[in-house]
Parts: sequence; C-alpha cells; structure tokens
Amino acid sequence: MSKIIIKDVAKRYANGFEALKGVSAEIPAGSFTVILGPSGAGKSTLLRTINGLETPTSGSVQIGEQPVTHASLREVRAQVGMVFQHFNLVDRLSVMTNVLTGRLSHRSWLGSLLYLFQRGDMDIAHDALIRVGLTDKAWNRADKLSGGQQQRVGIARALAQQPRVILADEPVASLDPVTSEEIMGLLLEICTRDGITIVVNLHQVELAKRFADRVIGLNEGVVVYDGVASGLDRATLSRIYNRNGDQVDEQLETMLAYA
Amino acid sequence: MSSSKLCWPTPNGLPALGPTAVLAACVALLAISVPAVELDLVRLITAIPRMIEFGGHLLVMPDWEYLPTLGANMLQTLEMTFLATSIALVISLPLGVMAAANASPHPAVFHATRNLLTLMRALPELVWALVFVSAVGLGPLPGIMALSFVTVGFMGKFFAESIEVVDARQIEGVAAHGAGWLQLRTFAFFPQAFPDFVGTVMYILDHNLRAAAILGLVGAGGIGYDLVMAMRMFDYDRLLPIALSIYVVVTVLDRLSDRFRRRLI
Repeated sequence: MSKIIIKDVAKRYANGFEALKGVSAEIPAGSFTVILGPSGAGKSTLLRTINGLETPTSGSVQIGEQPVTHASLREVRAQVGMVFQHFNLVDRLSVMTNVLTGRLSHRSWLGSLLYLFQRGDMDIAHDALIRVGLTDKAWNRADKLSGGQQQRVGIARALAQQPRVILADEPVASLDPVTSEEIMGLLLEICTRDGITIVVNLHQVELAKRFADRVIGLNEGVVVYDGVASGLDRATLSRIYNRNGDQVDEQLETMLAYA
Repeated sequence: MSSSKLCWPTPNGLPALGPTAVLAACVALLAISVPAVELDLVRLITAIPRMIEFGGHLLVMPDWEYLPTLGANMLQTLEMTFLATSIALVISLPLGVMAAANASPHPAVFHATRNLLTLMRALPELVWALVFVSAVGLGPLPGIMALSFVTVGFMGKFFAESIEVVDARQIEGVAAHGAGWLQLRTFAFFPQAFPDFVGTVMYILDHNLRAAAILGLVGAGGIGYDLVMAMRMFDYDRLLPIALSIYVVVTVLDRLSDRFRRRLI
C-alpha cells in the first residue's frame, strides 16, 4: 500500500563497523521483496532503518510520503509491522494480549496503563488470529507455544496493526522447512490479499526464488543485485555470496543445487 | 615423578597466585580484628552460667492476662507492616522505572533517582523512626513513615534491577509496532519483570515485619515497645510469649508468601 524509498543509506556502528555503504532502492507498493545476502551483509541493518530501529549515519528512508525521522518515529511505526527471527513476543502475556500490542499505537497511554482496549481492537485481534489459524490458542501464554506458532502470533500482531508495510527479519531462520514454507505462504497471502508491501530478509535462495517478486542482493553493505527473482542465476548468486573477492566455495554449489 | 602425585590445575602445578594472596589477606585481616572486637574465650566461658540462669528465668508460667494485649499489639505490628509495604510499593514502581538504566526517561533522571534511593536506605528504619517520632510524635504513624521510607529505598533499587535484566528483544517486538513510552513500559517491561517484583515484595514484607517488631524500641508503635519494657522490668512471664508470637507470625507469613509466589509464577 505504501512504497518505500531508500536513498543513499549508510550506517556505521559505534565500533567502526560499516554495515551499509550507501544503499539505494525503491520498493513498490504492494510488492513482495526479498533481501538476500550472506551473514553480516547488512540485511538486518537495512531492514531496521526502514522503521527506525536503526538510525542511518547518512541518507534517508521514506515510507509513502512520510520520511522516517526521529520525530516521526511513532507515526511511522504505527504504519509498519515487523516480524522477527526470534518472534520477540512478550513471553508472559497471553497470545491475545500480544496480538493486541499491535493496536497500542491507536490507544491512549492512560487506558493502556490499566491494560484496557476497545471492543473493536479485540475484534481486529481476533480476526488476525483467524488469519493465522490460532484462535484456539488465544488465551495461552505466548511462551507455551511452539516456534512456528509463536511466529504466527508475530504475524498476527503485525496484522492487527493494519499496517501499510510489513518488515520480516529472517522470519524463518529459527524454523523447520515445513513450517518455514507455511510462514512464507502466509506472508505472500497477506501481500496479495491485503496489498500490504512486504520486505523479507532471507538467507534461503530457494525460498527467495519461489516467493519474491523482486530480490535485492546485498554484500558487504552494497547492493550487488536488484531485479526479478528469476534473474538469480549462478553468476548473480556468486556475486551476492562472494566474500573478500575469493571465489565462492562449495556451500554455494550446495545452495545452487537446492535452488 | 609418580603420576598419582597431587597438583593444582595450573601450568606449574602450584596453587594460583591470585586466590592464594586473597585467602592469605583474609586470614590476616581476621587475625588483626580479633583483639579489636574483644573476642575473649575466657569471658565467653564464664558467661555460660549466667546465660543458663537467664534461660531459666524465661521458663515461667506466662502472664495469661497479658495475652489479649499481646494479640492487639501484634495485630498493630502486622497492620504497620502491610500498610508501610503497600505505600512503599506504590511509590517504588515509578521510581524503579526511573532508576533502571534501560527504562529511565533520561540519564540525569536515572542518576538522580539512584542517589535518592541510596539516601533513603542509607540509615536503618530505627534511625528514621527516631527522626519521625520527633517530627510527628509517638505511635504507629512515625513507625509506618520510617518503614515506608526505607522500604522505598530498597524496593525501588530491587525493582530497577529486575527491570534492567529484561529481554531487549521482547521490548523491541512491542516498540516496533508503534507503542508509546508508557505503553512500552506497561506491556513489555512490566510483564517480564513481574515475577521478580513479586519475589521482592514477598522478601520485603518478611523483612518489614521483623523491622516493625523492633520499631517500638523508639516509641514508634508495634510489639517492640512491649518487648523492651518486659526486658527492662524483668517481666520474664511476658518475654517468652512476645518472642514466640513474633517467631510464629514470621513463620506463618513466610509459608504463605512461598505458596503465593509459587501460584503466581
């Protein structure tokens, strides 16, 4: 629903590590984009600059017409849902309450102090749980669920927010292949049915090829590929997974065999 | 060299220098402090008959007529404990948030709150009770004030420490969806720190009951006044019931709080 414009974003951490070295990309509204790259390529950093969990050292990010700045942080986050590798649910709260935290940006601080929500919020949260197929677990504690179920709650939390963009940072890295498949399917369904712009960090080339409209290849903080998923050939992949100029090893061979 | 020879797990098999030095220093320190505290074995031994004599005095028929008064004063002690702990709890929650490095609104607030809490618990309840007795007069009121005061000092610090060890990922999970400052503390910090909070409150309740039992010493209400008077007037027939009742109440509270905590966590 909203396009994302990333302009010359660079990020240098306090320890001197340069995670991003001037990344530019335009992600069209309602698209399913996968960011691919080896560990340490800057995938997470890039994704986290989009909702201001990281502040770029230079460059800018814009969601729709709204620039992401320190002042606009809450407004931006109110429109952007996020799904995490480790789910990042609040363990001791019920599944329902976790999903309802997606509604917090619409509630006042005074009511929230007493954990109060509106009936409408409950309906939205309930619908979100129906979408991910977890209505029967609504009143269980979040940490009592399996990894796959927790990730579904994470997605329901993002959905309950009724966002324009959903960011997913390695959403299937902690899950088994079958569950990964389900989670990716769920994200794709949300993208096509609700028209929500989805950006996913992945390290599975095969999943990227199957689900993405568009792939951004990142290596050492630089965009080395930006195009359709079907364009991921051998040469492209070795460019993405290339390390320090060395020719890529057998790992890539294995990866390509599966892709 | 025989392979069964004993040795320490260091390169040369000798004891490590650091721990040896620390141990030697501790022993030396203890040896120096023995004369300073007048630790005298002869005096201890000659004191044994006197202790037995004192113990013998305790084993008298209790003063039955005093028991209703004892019950009433014990109840007052309990009321002081619960009231002071509740008041302190309400004040400590916001102070704990402000004194936690990861939840404080500003580093300056963090340092100021930390210092305030240190000041509050710098002196024991008894000293604050003396201050408040001279301010508001005798009775349970200065006792409750003193108890609340010191309790905030401890509770605020314990709360802050529980908040500081929460999982940052869970915080991020809520923050990423546009939660506000206070909402983040209510929905992400609080649930995680909650079990620790309960543990702290239970521990402090236990501590406060024992503290409340001696506040009477300076005229700040509770059973302590009776205890001191019985001691001074050689009312041995009251001394044992008072001591026993304190023991029983502390034990019962301890059991109850254990059960309560297990159900909650």
